[in-house]
Amino acid sequence: MGDMTLIQISGLKIHRGSRLIISDLNFELNEGEVVALVGPNGCGKTTLLESSAGMHTISSGSIHWKHDSYGMKLVRDSEGRRNSLPPMGLTLQKNGISGEETVQERIKTVLQVSGCEFDNIKISELLDCWGLKHRSSDRVSQLSGGLARRLSVLSGLAPALLSQEPRAVLLDEPSEGLDESAKSLLINWLRALILRGHGIVIATHDSDLISAADRTLTFSDDRKIIFSAQSQPESNFVIPKFTNNISVKKTSSLFNWAYRMEKRNPVDTINRLIPAILALFLSHTLVSEEDISALGVDFLSALILLPPFISVVIPPALISRYAEENCGRWWSAIIGPKFRLSSSIIGSSILLPIPLIYISWFILSDNISIANDSVVYWLWLPCLVMYLVAIAASSLHLLVSDLRRSGASVVSLLLLVLVWPFIELVDSLEMIIINGMSMGISLEEPIFMMFLAGLISFLVWMVSVYLPEA
Amino acid sequence: MKTSIHHIVTSRRFMSSTKYYGWGLTCIGGAGVLLTAVMGYTYAPLVQSPPFRSPEAYRILFWHVPFAWTSFVAFCLLFIGAISWFLKRKEWGWNLFCTGSDLGLLFGLGVVISGPIWGSAEWGVPWDWGDLRLNTFGLLTAVALFIVLSRKAQPDGIETRDTLSTVGLFGFALVPITAVATTVYQKRHPSVVIAESSETGLDPKMLQVLILGVISFWILMAGLSILTYISYKMEEELQRLLDKIDEEVVH
Repeated sequence: MGDMTLIQISGLKIHRGSRLIISDLNFELNEGEVVALVGPNGCGKTTLLESSAGMHTISSGSIHWKHDSYGMKLVRDSEGRRNSLPPMGLTLQKNGISGEETVQERIKTVLQVSGCEFDNIKISELLDCWGLKHRSSDRVSQLSGGLARRLSVLSGLAPALLSQEPRAVLLDEPSEGLDESAKSLLINWLRALILRGHGIVIATHDSDLISAADRTLTFSDDRKIIFSAQSQPESNFVIPKFTNNISVKKTSSLFNWAYRMEKRNPVDTINRLIPAILALFLSHTLVSEEDISALGVDFLSALILLPPFISVVIPPALISRYAEENCGRWWSAIIGPKFRLSSSIIGSSILLPIPLIYISWFILSDNISIANDSVVYWLWLPCLVMYLVAIAASSLHLLVSDLRRSGASVVSLLLLVLVWPFIELVDSLEMIIINGMSMGISLEEPIFMMFLAGLISFLVWMVSVYLPEA
Repeated sequence: MKTSIHHIVTSRRFMSSTKYYGWGLTCIGGAGVLLTAVMGYTYAPLVQSPPFRSPEAYRILFWHVPFAWTSFVAFCLLFIGAISWFLKRKEWGWNLFCTGSDLGLLFGLGVVISGPIWGSAEWGVPWDWGDLRLNTFGLLTAVALFIVLSRKAQPDGIETRDTLSTVGLFGFALVPITAVATTVYQKRHPSVVIAESSETGLDPKMLQVLILGVISFWILMAGLSILTYISYKMEEELQRLLDKIDEEVVH
């Protein structure tokens, strides 16, 4: 393994079900070369490219990437070890961009996660090169298929373009959907980028792109991989200058991205709010004060906690955003092993439980004489625990969303376990309503019940976040 | 040529002879299960009205308890299969996982359907949140149902298998969580108690029917396990042939 190696793949073996897709592959991507992966449909080009980015579980072998400060570092191996990628460029077969993002935001996000310094002028320059400047404020959903593909390809190339350090770039079928002028531009950029020391891997069927590569990996019919090299003329195409490297902001970029998407189109908040409010109004309409008095305080507690509980178990909108154009897969590759943990927090309901519990309390406890006066000062406490329930629910939804046809699986069967924290919270609220809040630590104390509810939720969260990464 | 146990087990000749054992055991087990029901009604004596609220309903015990014990064995198969797939990525582990989830669902549903019927008649409520066994089996059955439905709906692949075996392991992680939650809950809210004392111990005739039920269910499960495992082996073989045809078509 030389100093020039950007990616090193050793003894890679990948299965799909019982079918062997890639067998004992050894491959190195070096600085200053374009490598094309070529072969018929289903031969494993995309699998190899995505596996290089640590996106697939591998049956044997290991994948190492060059980090600026550590040298070669393990990204993924067959023992289940996984580390995040260094700054890199990635364009997936689908665009990997949410339709809610604007063109400019997308490039900013890509540059933030890859640690490149930028300003609005630089972004305009990049967009101008690819004929996207006039659409910089538009949402990606408003672009044509070809323009969206240009943006996706630019997103893959920009981290290398603006970086002083050599970067690896992975492009899956980049010319798909591009017109001739954009394809020609792509080839010119590829040749110019490798002169700066970057290494590029392309999975493609396009003969123009294949002929622009320095090396070709051809997947043959009998599952063998044939390497071949070809010399290329030196490029004198001028591309924008690089900028300084700054600190990489991956997780915070994901938080900002999710916040922007929700702020622009609050699908998550509305999806959670409507069933919760409906449950509250139905409880208020159908359950009389006599019913509550007859059935006891635990019934009242359950009714009060039901709207916030419903709001936290609703599937997060983040999952459908991730599903759009494989956006979640792009983020998963960029963030690495912390993706699931971060997403379970981002996807959970943060805003709703506290207002909902207070609204429930004021509507349902009206004219109930058994209520302790201090209840209203402590209602926020069960809500804090409800946040943990929310994160656990979100992590279970994410676990199921990993399946290729996630909509075909019944996630509510797994959510049943969250009935336990709910019951514990109902009990604790009942205690607070009857006796007021106390801080004792016996089984009968509300604080202990809330602790238990929180502990169960925490365990469910940890199991569903860490087991799949094991 | 070196012959491994795996090759012997998966050879067509062995599978063909094993299939007959599977059918045989299933038929014997099924007959035993039916006989248990008949004996439960005709041979086993009636229990005393106090302390039992609904003396006739107790007869469901002759199926409920064997269902529970058999489903526990099936869940163990599921767990072993999930671990084997997760750690070793062995094909037999995945087949065991599939077999365990199918049978876990079948026998688990038996528990969670028969339990509430008995509970409604005897306790007046179908579910007891203070009953560890009920809650654990309820959750494990829900997990098995999720796995069975998802397996049918999802395209087969290493990622799908990883996620589903994760869910299988998650199901087992629920057992201690449920145990703690139920124990604490039970201490605050005494659960519904079935009348039980040295005087009301199991009558010898009841014990005989119960033992017959347990043995029959276990034989039935052994037969079904063999048949289910063979059917998954055949599916695997079919998939391999389809993959081969795909390759010939593409190339």
